[in-house]
Amino acid sequence: MSKRPPITNRVRELREEHEKMSQAALGEAVGVTRHTIIAIEQGRYSPSLETAFRIARLFGVGVEDVFGWEGE
Amino acid sequence: MSFREKSAWVMGAIMLATGLWYAQLVMAAPQAPVIGPLIPYVLAVIVLSIVAQVILAIASPKEADSPADERERAAIDRAGHFSGLVLGFGVITAIIMHIGGWSAALLVHAIVGALIVSTIAEYALQIFYFRRAIR
Repeated sequence: MSKRPPITNRVRELREEHEKMSQAALGEAVGVTRHTIIAIEQGRYSPSLETAFRIARLFGVGVEDVFGWEGE
Repeated sequence: MSFREKSAWVMGAIMLATGLWYAQLVMAAPQAPVIGPLIPYVLAVIVLSIVAQVILAIASPKEADSPADERERAAIDRAGHFSGLVLGFGVITAIIMHIGGWSAALLVHAIVGALIVSTIAEYALQIFYFRRAIR
């Protein structure tokens, strides 16, 4: 249950590339809380497909440019 | 700490404190009419919950107005599932004890007790899932 999801992400990196967008601003833009963005960045939570697409579209990249499978 | 985690801590503390008070009232007079300890307990829970939620909402008005997001909903749903199992176990145990000789008053108190324990478990599990990985 508390095992980390096997999904990696570049959310923090992309956030910093986009004028150091805050976690709160990203969360508000994609419809989740700042705490959920923190959990995603720390690898404690894998977002839904919808949120993954929202994050990718916000940064103007594809979903696979943001999220990847561990070890690949 | 998120608004919902703060809320879970506060509500868990209220349920624990009022639950202990309820247990004390019942143990003082186990065979007394059920309504005696039940009404003050229910009123205390309602009043304390309203006061606590109002204070939390005043402290974080924006978060209080926002619905739970997908991760929070998953944590709340999972905690609810397990607390339901705790409640079911408590109710079945209370019924077995009633068949075994417990009075109707004790049966009611045991069921209320199971509800209190399952609610405390629900808030504790919410906090656990808010903090740990969830998928």
